[in-house]
Amino acid sequence: MSAPLHFMTVAELAGAIAARTISPVELTKALIARVAALDGLTHAFIEVTADLALAQARKAEGEVMAGISRGPLHGVPVGLKDIIDLKGVRTTAHSHQLIDNWAKDDAAVTRKLKAAGAVILGKLATHEFAMGGPSFDLPFPPARNPWKLAHFTGGSSSGSGAAVAAGYVPAALGTDTGGSIRLPAAFCGIVGMKPTYGLVSRRGVLPLAQSLDHIGPMTWTVEDNALLMKVLAGHDPLDPASADRPDPAPEALLEAGVKGLRIGYVPSLGAQAEATEEVQSAVAGVAATLAGLGAVVEEVALPPLADFAACGLMILLSEAFAVHEPNIQARPELYGEILRDRLLLAGMIDASDYVQALRLRAELVAAVAQTMSRFDIMVCAATATPAPAITEVPKFGLFTKPPLTFPFNVTGMPALTMCCGFSAAGLPLSVQIAGHAFGEATIYRAAQAYEAATAWRARRPDLEAAGPASLAAE
Amino acid sequence: MSETISVEAFRLLLDRAGIRVKPESFEDMRNAYTLLQAMRERVRTSRGYDAEPAHIFTPADR
Repeated sequence: MSAPLHFMTVAELAGAIAARTISPVELTKALIARVAALDGLTHAFIEVTADLALAQARKAEGEVMAGISRGPLHGVPVGLKDIIDLKGVRTTAHSHQLIDNWAKDDAAVTRKLKAAGAVILGKLATHEFAMGGPSFDLPFPPARNPWKLAHFTGGSSSGSGAAVAAGYVPAALGTDTGGSIRLPAAFCGIVGMKPTYGLVSRRGVLPLAQSLDHIGPMTWTVEDNALLMKVLAGHDPLDPASADRPDPAPEALLEAGVKGLRIGYVPSLGAQAEATEEVQSAVAGVAATLAGLGAVVEEVALPPLADFAACGLMILLSEAFAVHEPNIQARPELYGEILRDRLLLAGMIDASDYVQALRLRAELVAAVAQTMSRFDIMVCAATATPAPAITEVPKFGLFTKPPLTFPFNVTGMPALTMCCGFSAAGLPLSVQIAGHAFGEATIYRAAQAYEAATAWRARRPDLEAAGPASLAAE
Repeated sequence: MSETISVEAFRLLLDRAGIRVKPESFEDMRNAYTLLQAMRERVRTSRGYDAEPAHIFTPADR
């Protein structure tokens, strides 16, 4: 066993559990103890569901010992962003608004994880209602980046990013409306996949903006991400946006390599976002590595990032305001300042603005589809910079510094972010790989080839060496 | 860049939306409205009568 227990991947744990060399109960106990010892630094968890997790672990262990296998998640601990329902546990959305909101049922994705034998270790920090953060005026503190505690995790699946990077859980679920899986994955140096719109059911997950919302996995490795996606994907007749498609077999091409793969490399997106030289160089390095592995890489452009941002933001804000209108009117004081002020601005968008944004969305989807017709995947920067200081995230940054992830929420295409290096300050740098609708397997194929060709997975945050002193020093 | 909205016009928008802004946040929000206005202008390009809004999926993708 090369890695300590808390840094073992889902695939490694699955093999060891199946071989009965690791006990799901002992694993769960070890991770609960790790969270208890270290999460005072990172604030990744809102609630550790220890009793439930140990009961699930005991059940999984009994099944394994009886020769029953539920697949690679059997007995493996997983965390849930706290807008995803877990029956009998609060779904707070990290907000005073829902501080006593007890889930009556499991979300569809929670149900799938349970059926696969996963152990739900707890509920993870989020930006308030997946939109407001990082905030210091909410019932729970904001998650902090395990690589450098004074830095932002990215959001809104902030706790999911921190928990996986810190080795509290080998996998977590996040949600992504403008980049909320991919941004924390990028800033925390892990792998995050926003699947194709409609591939994973949204039922039982608090909405932010229904036409842009996605649920997906966040993991340390590409293989683990595909293993989770295999469990999560599938038609749900009770989610009106769910696509009724054949099994996407996300894991099927993991070892296929990239020889002959047609890759559109989009440096102009990063340039429009004024990406740092470190970021642009790292992403160019990904394109070069994939070319060196046999892919056919061609530089290509997409419509202006500002168009995607305007379109996506107008839709996101309009739909979010519709969700929150009663509460923002009746009890605005129960929101944190950041979300409250963003929602107040959203209330000033009129119906015509929204429809014009939807018309622009149709134009952007068509333009990207035309460009994508020549390629299997696209590669571009995931973020413009490494993680900024947690105190330096502007309230209206979505307007002034649009995320590079937004284009693929607007188009609904699948997109993954993963580590492609480190800044001079030791913070992760990340690349984004996007594909055709329902083409997750091809994204994983390229991502796996890149991961296998580089050594970035050998480096982990040293949380044990961190502490209040390190936070003060930063 | 859009001009900052007048105090009166901004109050009207707040009233229409049924929302209250803390006095200490009013100017901050009024200035932020300029950012929203820029986005609004960007989505309002010239289009034909028949320009369709996006739907969740085309039938072929379902």
